[in-house]
Parts: sequence; C-alpha cells; structure tokens
Amino acid sequence: MIAVVVVRDGLLPAGGAETVAECAGRAVLIGSQASIAAVALHGIAVELTLVERDSFQPASFAGDLAAILADESIVVLPASPDGRDLAPRLAAGLQRPLHAGATAVNADRVDLVRNGGRDLHRVVPADRFVATLQPGARGVIVEQLLPAPATRNVVSPATQLVDAVVTAVLPPDPATVDLAEAARIVGGGAGLDGPERMQQLAEIGLKLGASVGATRVVTDRGWAAHERQIGTTGVVVSPHLYMAFGIAGAVQHTSGLGDPAHIVSVNTDPHCPMMQLADLAIVSDANETIDALQALLA
Amino acid sequence: MSEISPTTEIVVCLKWVFQVNEPSDARFAGMSPADHAALELALQCAEHIGGEVTAVTVGPLAADTVLREALACGVAHAVRIDAPTATDSADVATMIASTADKASWIWCGDYSTDNGSGSVPSFLAADLQARQALGVINVSFEGEGVSATRRIDGGRREVLDVRAPAVISVEGATARLRRASLAALRTAATAAIDVVTPATPIRTTQHTVHTYRPRARALAAPSASDALDRVRALTMSGATATAQHDVETLAPADAAARIVDALRDWGYL
Amino acid sequence: MTDVDVIVVGGGPAGSCAAIVAARAGLSVVLLERGPFPGSKNMYGGVVYPRILDELIPNWWEEAPIQRWVTRRSTMLLTETQALTVDFRTEAWGKAPYNGATAYRPDFDHWLAGHAEAAGAQLLTSTTVTGLLRDANGAVVGVTTDRPDGDLRARVVIACDGVNSFLAKEAGLYEHTDAKHFTLGVKETLALPKEVIDERFGVRGREGVDIEIIGGTGAVNGGGFVYTNLETVAVGVVLKISKLASQSMRPEQIIANLKAHPGIAPLIEGGEIKEYSAHLIPEAGLKMMPKMTTDGMLVAGDAAALCLAAGIWLEGVNFAMASGMYAGESAAEAIKVSDVSAAGLGGYQRRLSETFVLKDHRKLRRAPELVLSDRVQHLYPQMIANVVERMFRIDNPAPKPGLRRILNQERKRAGIKRRDLMRDTLDGYRSFG
Ligand SMILES: Cc1cc2nc3c(=O)[nH]c(=O)nc-3n(C[C@H](O)[C@H](O)[C@H](O)COP(=O)(O)OP(=O)(O)OC[C@H]3O[C@@H](n4cnc5c(N)ncnc54)[C@H](O)[C@@H]3O)c2cc1C
Ligand SMILES: Cc1cc2nc3c(=O)[nH]c(=O)nc-3n(C[C@H](O)[C@H](O)[C@H](O)COP(=O)(O)OP(=O)(O)OC[C@H]3O[C@@H](n4cnc5c(N)ncnc54)[C@H](O)[C@@H]3O)c2cc1C
Ligand SMILES: Nc1ncnc2c1ncn2[C@@H]1O[C@H](COP(=O)(O)O)[C@@H](O)[C@H]1O
Repeated sequence: MIAVVVVRDGLLPAGGAETVAECAGRAVLIGSQASIAAVALHGIAVELTLVERDSFQPASFAGDLAAILADESIVVLPASPDGRDLAPRLAAGLQRPLHAGATAVNADRVDLVRNGGRDLHRVVPADRFVATLQPGARGVIVEQLLPAPATRNVVSPATQLVDAVVTAVLPPDPATVDLAEAARIVGGGAGLDGPERMQQLAEIGLKLGASVGATRVVTDRGWAAHERQIGTTGVVVSPHLYMAFGIAGAVQHTSGLGDPAHIVSVNTDPHCPMMQLADLAIVSDANETIDALQALLA
Repeated sequence: MSEISPTTEIVVCLKWVFQVNEPSDARFAGMSPADHAALELALQCAEHIGGEVTAVTVGPLAADTVLREALACGVAHAVRIDAPTATDSADVATMIASTADKASWIWCGDYSTDNGSGSVPSFLAADLQARQALGVINVSFEGEGVSATRRIDGGRREVLDVRAPAVISVEGATARLRRASLAALRTAATAAIDVVTPATPIRTTQHTVHTYRPRARALAAPSASDALDRVRALTMSGATATAQHDVETLAPADAAARIVDALRDWGYL
Repeated sequence: MTDVDVIVVGGGPAGSCAAIVAARAGLSVVLLERGPFPGSKNMYGGVVYPRILDELIPNWWEEAPIQRWVTRRSTMLLTETQALTVDFRTEAWGKAPYNGATAYRPDFDHWLAGHAEAAGAQLLTSTTVTGLLRDANGAVVGVTTDRPDGDLRARVVIACDGVNSFLAKEAGLYEHTDAKHFTLGVKETLALPKEVIDERFGVRGREGVDIEIIGGTGAVNGGGFVYTNLETVAVGVVLKISKLASQSMRPEQIIANLKAHPGIAPLIEGGEIKEYSAHLIPEAGLKMMPKMTTDGMLVAGDAAALCLAAGIWLEGVNFAMASGMYAGESAAEAIKVSDVSAAGLGGYQRRLSETFVLKDHRKLRRAPELVLSDRVQHLYPQMIANVVERMFRIDNPAPKPGLRRILNQERKRAGIKRRDLMRDTLDGYRSFG
C-alpha cells in the first residue's frame, strides 16, 4: 500500500498524514515544496518519494505518477479536494477500480461512507485498486522516536496534458476567518425548518461569543453562504465548544470539526453519529429548542 | 479538441437519486441540489457561449423524471442510458462519454447524494481527455471560456481559467435552477427521450451494507501549545471518537435550560 | 381560445376523482397540484370509506394502498377519569367489498391521482394556482399559476383546493366565511410495532380499529379519534376554534391530555411521534356551504365545505370523492352541449342533492351544533358515565337502585334541565336516529 498526497506550498492537505499512516508510512508526495511537507510527516512516514511540481494539474500529475505507481497494487489518496480530483484520473490511467470515500482501507477490506454518511458499504477489493480515505476517519499517532523517513526525489520532466490554468490562489475567505479560528461554534443542519433558523443561531452565537457554521445540506439550500460550510470540502475548524442543531454528524462534516472539548447535539434521532459524539446529547426538536434557547439567553 | 462554435455541444449530467431522508420512496426521488445547479449553469453556458444543451442520465425508467424536469427548464435533448444508478462510477462515466464525445462543455454536480464519490466528473474528463474543474463554488462566463473558483484545502480557493473541452462539477449553492414555464412543463411531460442501451457491460461493485459508525480513532498527539489545551487533548476524545454520555429526551424548553446549565458547568457562561 | 377543456385545481381525493371522470368522458384535462406529488402536503393517515369508488375503480380494494380494514368501530365517552365505550366489530368489514379502511393520505391521494393520469389527465405538480382568469362578463375562463407565463385557459375550472378554498372565495361563491364554521383538526402519528398494535387493539392481520371520542378535550369543545395503521396509531382531536381562543389553550396540550387519559394511555404507551400536523376542518355543513357553481367553474370537496364533521362522524374523503365525480360528470355534460354557464353546469347541484352528499348533510344538519354544544360536551358525558358507574357499582348492603331514579338524580346533579335533555334527545334522534 502506498499513499499519494498532493502538496501545495509545502502544506499537507486534510487527511494527508492519516493517509500516509494508513499505508504504514509509505507515500509519494507530489506538488510544490514537497520536501517541506515531508518534514511534517516525521514520526509517521517511513519511506517517501518526492515529486516536485508547481501548480496542481490533475491530468498531468496522473501522467507523471502512472510510471511511479505501476508496481504498487494499492494506492490511497486523502479524500481532500485535490485527492478527490486526482484519484479517478489515476485509477483511469492505471486501469484499476476506484473506491472513493473510505474510512478504512486494507488489502482484503474497504469500508466506504455512503448516503450522506448514513451507511457504510463494505467491499472486498480486487488485488489492485485505488482508494481515497476520508479525512478525520482514522487519526494518527506521531511516534517521536521513529527515524527520519528514507526519501527519494524523482526528477522527471512533467507530462504535459490538457489541464485548466490556475490564474489565482485565494487565501481563506475573510468571511470564514472568524469560523476557522472560532473557539465556539453553533452549527445548523438539515434538521432546521427554515433559513431564518440560521439567523436565530447567529443571534444565539452573539450571546455566546460563538461563530455560526453549517452543514453541506444547509449551504446547498442557500440558507447559509458556502463559506459557512464546515467539513472536508468546507472550512476546517477547531473550536472548544461545538453546538450542533439538527446535524446528523456525517464523517464529511465531523472531519472538519477538529477535537472540540465539548459537543452539544440536539437531534430527533438519538442514534445518529452526532449524538454519539456529543457530551450533551438531547433528543428534542431543534427548531423549538432554538426558540427556547434564544428566549433564555435574551 | 472541438473549437467553440454556434453548434457547441453542452452536456449536463443529472443523476436520479433517492432523498437521504426518504431512502426507499421514489416519490421523493429526483435531482440533488448540486445537479440542479449544474443544470442551471449548463443553460447559462448555452446562453453565453452559444450551443444546445443535452441532459444525460444513467438510470432506470423512473429516472426520466429528472430528464423531464431538465426539458421543462429548457434543455434541447434528453438521453437516458438504461443502466442501474448503482453502476460503478468509472462505467457511468464511460457510458456518458460515449454519448458526449463531441461535447465541449460538460456540467456535473460535485457529488451525488447517494454514492457521493465525486468521481464521475473526473473519470469523464479522463475518458474525454478534457480539462476538469471540480468542486466549483463560483462560475463566471468570460468570452469563450469559463472562470471557475473551486475549494481547495484549508478554506483556500483556486481560480481556474477553463477552456473547452472541459468537465465542470459544481456545488449546490453555485446557482439556483430557473423555474420552468407552465407551457414548457406541459410539453416536457410528453417530449421524446432517447433511450440508449449501454455498449459496455454493466458492473456494480459487490458490497455489504452497514449503518455508519465512527471508526475507533488513533488520538492525535497534543499539538496545542497552552498547558490546558494539552491536558484536554490528552484526556478528551476527539470529534470522531465516541463520547460516553447518555442521551436525554427533553421537551424543547427543558432542552434549552439543560443546555444553559451545561454551558455554565463547562464555564462558557 | 382555450388550452384545455377542464382544469382541476388540487390533487386531493376530490380533484383526482373529478379528473378521472372528466378525462374518461374524453375531455382534455389538466390537474394542478402545488405539492411535489399529490398527497405530499395532505394530512397523514385517516379512515376512508371508498364505497363510492365501486363504479369508478372496480375492485379498488385489490389495489388501493390501505393500511388496515376497519373491522372494529368504537365510540368513546370520556370524562376526566371515566370512559364509556360502545364497541362494534364485524368480520364482514374485513372482507370484500369492505367498508372503511385506514390509509396514509400521501399514499392514497398519490394512488388516486395515478388513476387520473391513466385516464389521460395531465398532472402538473409543484404548481400553485394563484388566481382566476375571467372574461368580460366575469365568467371563469382559466387560472393563473406561480410559474413563468403560467396562465392556463379552459372551458371549465373545477376548484378542489381544499378547506377555506381561496378559489371559491375569489369566485365569490361564499357569501360569508366565519371562524366559527371551522374546527381545528390536530393529529399525532405514533409509531408502534405491528404486534403491539394488534395485541392492544385486539385485532389481527389487516384488521383495524376506528375510535371516535366525545369529551376528553377538556374545557375546549371538540372530539377526538384514535385510528390504527399497520405500524402507527393516529391520535387526534377536533377543536372548536372559538373555544380554543377563549380558553387560550394550545392544541398540543389538549392532545397530550387526551393521550394521558386512563382510557387512551395504555393503547399508545411507548409510541414514538412520527408526525404532528394540524389542519382546518369545515364543520358547519349546510350552514356554511357556498354556491356550488358559477359561470365556468364548479367547487368540490372541502373547498365546497362538503366535509361531514358531526361528532362521531368525521368523513370528508368520501364526500370529496363523490362531489369530485359529480363535478366531473357535470362539466362533461355542460361541455358536450357547450353551455358552461352556471345554468349549464346545474347538473352538479342536482347530483349533489339527489345523493348522500347533500342528503347526509341535510339529515345531520343539527348534529355539529348539538355535538359541540356545552351540554353534550361537558354535562352529558359526566351524567351518563356516572349513571353507568352506579349501575355497575355494588353498594351492598344497599340494594340496587332503579335506572330511572339514578338517571334523575344524576341529571339533577349535573344541573341539566329536563326540558333541555328532552330537546337534545329529540335532536339527536332526528339526526342520528
Ligand atoms: C464528497 C463529499 C463531501 C462532503 N463534504 C461535506 C462538508 O464539507 N460538510 C458537510 O457538512 N457535509 C459534507 N458532505 C455531505 C455529508 O455527507 C452529509 O450529507 C451532510 O453533512 C449532512 O448534513 P445534515 O446532517 O445537515 O443533513 P442530514 O444528513 O439530512 O441530517 C439531518 C439531521 O437532522 C435531524 N433532524 C431532522 N429533523 C429534526 C428536528 N426537527 N429537530 C432536530 N433534529 C432533526 C435528523 O435526525 C438528522 O440527523 C459531503 C458529502 C460528500 C459525498
Ligand atoms: C385532523 C383531520 C382528520 C381527518 N380525518 C378524516 C377521516 O378520518 N376520514 C375522512 O374521510 N376525512 C377526514 N378528514 C377530512 C379530510 O381530510 C378532507 O375532507 C379531505 O381531505 C377533503 O379532500 P379534498 O380533495 O376536498 O381536499 P384536500 O384533501 O385538502 O386536497 C386539496 C389539494 O389541493 C391542493 N391545493 C390547495 N390549494 C392549491 C392551489 N392554490 N394550487 C394547487 N393546488 C392546491 C392541496 O395541496 C391538496 O393536495 C380529516 C381532516 C382533518 C383535518
Ligand atoms: N448515474 C448518473 N447519471 C448521470 N449523471 C451522473 C450519474 N452519476 C453521477 N453523475 C454525475 O456526476 C456527479 C457526481 O456524482 P458521483 O461521482 O456519483 O459523486 C453527479 O452530480 C452527476 O452530475
């Protein structure tokens, strides 16, 4: 098993380290300033192959990697934006099946999150395949005593295939900074019965000094700006306090949550993941609870 | 690579999905918000760049409903490739590619709500040797090209200059689907839909279904600097581990009171 | 210049039946529904009496999406602490051709609309009718909808848009509508395992129970019901709106109290709430009914206040289906002789009058008021329950008292004038007898 991690400006993507750990420390880092990213993997990585490239170009990267990975039977990428984009290209190039969005990957079993985080599909894979690993699913232990990884640089001319041209990389949207750095966050999910609920959460947040986040379903509905979306494909946050109203707790959401000290969850379904994660799990109608809470704090 | 011309072919890929909350009720099945956005942008693409839009779905007869919705909203043609929606993403892409091989612009949702691999668009791009811009949250049409903003890691975003042929997958909030006119709705109800039987064999990966439970998670070493955080990091279970607390069923008013108490106990109030 | 022969507004039981009949008569029909599918917006569960479908959909019972066949019908008289139940059960209702059944409205309405489509009607969903189109003489010639260029013209519009019909009002068919003509229906659907329901209600297989309740709604005049579905039980109350206001009580409270009543609690114990819904019911029958026709338009179902809500009866679906059918027939009739004026559509009023639709309403015209009257609501239940309690209480060594004496004592104790009792009994006899 070998991990393929796309690196930007020496930064690992969400789930990068986890993916390397899932592959017992073997990885290919491809992108800009891969060598810097390699340092961040000390204590996790055992054997690294670095491919230095400037901007992310999925088609060309897949071309570059095909040769390097030819003899690798199992290739795993983090299900981060770049990993999600590159994995199918690789699978197509290597002509192998792709198992996308896994929580666990090994030679004889792959667990995949499906149906908005509700189901887990267990697959017995073919002997050669490509998979993407859901960030936040496994965690990592950094072993301080592990020796620095054996590192090899591949200097081959970049394959030139048609790719879109990157014209700019924008820093995190200013509107999200409060969210990304917030120590307290109130989150709204599909359990809410209307857009005005997000407004109420904002007002409750004001009283608690908390920022407002939302799930993908909520941003899709346009009830909250997309930059309010917490999760793998949204903003990654690390609050001390997270209050989830009508949120199921799909891994794609919780993987963006960090490790809050305290989680409150209000949900009508006592069995959903968010309720399992919660320090205070309350089975109740989120909407009426929001009304009551707003009244209490007023 | 086809050059942009008035006869530009634009394809939008629409998947017929069950609603996560109504997993077995076909009456609630339809397009995901992401596909709605893709459809709207495909139509705008035709308005800006010129050309005709074809809606394609891979699915059973019932999936015609999403095509009729698309026809009502103004696509010129509708094609249903007769295969299960559960067909492997790579094959779904191959099937779509075989009908969309001349397409200059292919619009997709960024992921389907059921399968959610987000991989069909990328497979499509590979099959068609097209450019790809995936997980897009903002689109603007500029001359013959498209400027697309996509999410990348750490809340950063990347602006791409996209030229045909290209596959663009968009999030649900990127565009709001226009409302079909009454007349269009009526004609769409009986409009012709081309049904194609796939050349490629239909493969669906065998799997067993289980309810999702967070995987026991290796605890990240304390990265936090301040002593308190470190203690917490060491003692607290992470967001994806399970907290050992019983679930309380409360009336909303009591729930609110309970929450306030907890916030006091924890020192947030 | 018309787009279609008939526009039917509303995909409920009335609308679908109107569409089926009109389409089968060879007319081009468009059925407009605001929800994503017919029934999606309609109240979950209830008892339906589809006998009227016999001609329309022969052997409907073999295909209708029903939950349970009602083989047991109880009428319950509740006081704070007592419950008197008159219980009737029959095997016959559990066999073809059946009588009543519990059904989920989203399933039932969706199924019925399917027949309208099969008959050739075009069903357009997620489309809300926003107004009427009229010609120079004020005759209705179509509708406006919330869609872009959403006008649709037809020779006849059949308004089946449900209680408080804004189309019937816009057409000026209601002289006056009055809050006191409506009751508020509130219903909870509680999930329980089938075996538990079977055991608690003493039924098997597809057998089901329909309990209608008088009293039990505390200070607010009204009634209640309990229905068994396959794996849910519906508990509901029907409340006099004026009283709700004056007593400033929340319907939720009243349902909660009913659920807690010793006569009801054991039946639903442990049920997990699946749905809570509230909806107006046209209650006043003949007193509130609108004109049924105007030039180019007919009204059917709840839109025409044809719901029969008379205490131990709560029947709307069958009245809706029947009136819908008759509206469809009358529209076809009028279009054939190309006179769609109110006169040309007059066959509708006639059909309603000649059939159970208005006959039952006439027969039961006093019932709603009687059943919701303070005496019936607050005094009689106590009196009757006390009488029965004393009949069966053993006060040895005291000998058993005679019924007449108990009756008299309890009547006095309840503070009921003999005159009132006589009159109400007579009214009751005229209505229900
Ligand atoms: C590739 C990919 C990337 C994704 N990225 C993200 C991401 O970055 N962020 C993200 O959030 N999601 C993401 N998702 C979507 C994710 O899988 C889930 O679909 C989403 O997080 C679910 O959001 P939700 O919990 O609000 O909605 P649902 O899953 O619909 O859950 C709604 C919850 O509300 C509860 N509820 C319903 N009514 C009430 C009520 N009245 N009171 C209280 N509770 C109620 C229900 O019990 C349920 O638990 C991604 C998915 C994929 C496939
Ligand atoms: C709590 C409660 C319990 C009941 N229990 C029973 C029972 O057990 N048995 C029984 O027989 N009856 C019962 N009823 C009465 C029954 O529900 C109604 O009488 C019946 O539904 C009337 O049918 P309808 O087709 O006239 O109207 P509805 O069923 O109300 O259908 C109206 C339809 O029109 C649509 N619509 C409305 N306005 C527009 C518009 N502007 N544009 C497009 N579409 C529109 C609505 O979405 C709806 O689908 C009950 C009612 C309540 C409130
Ligand atoms: N069966 C299908 N038919 C048509 N389009 C599809 C199908 N499956 C996926 N797509 C398209 O690919 C996008 C991403 O889906 P997925 O790769 O399954 O997450 C969807 O939003 C659709 O635009």
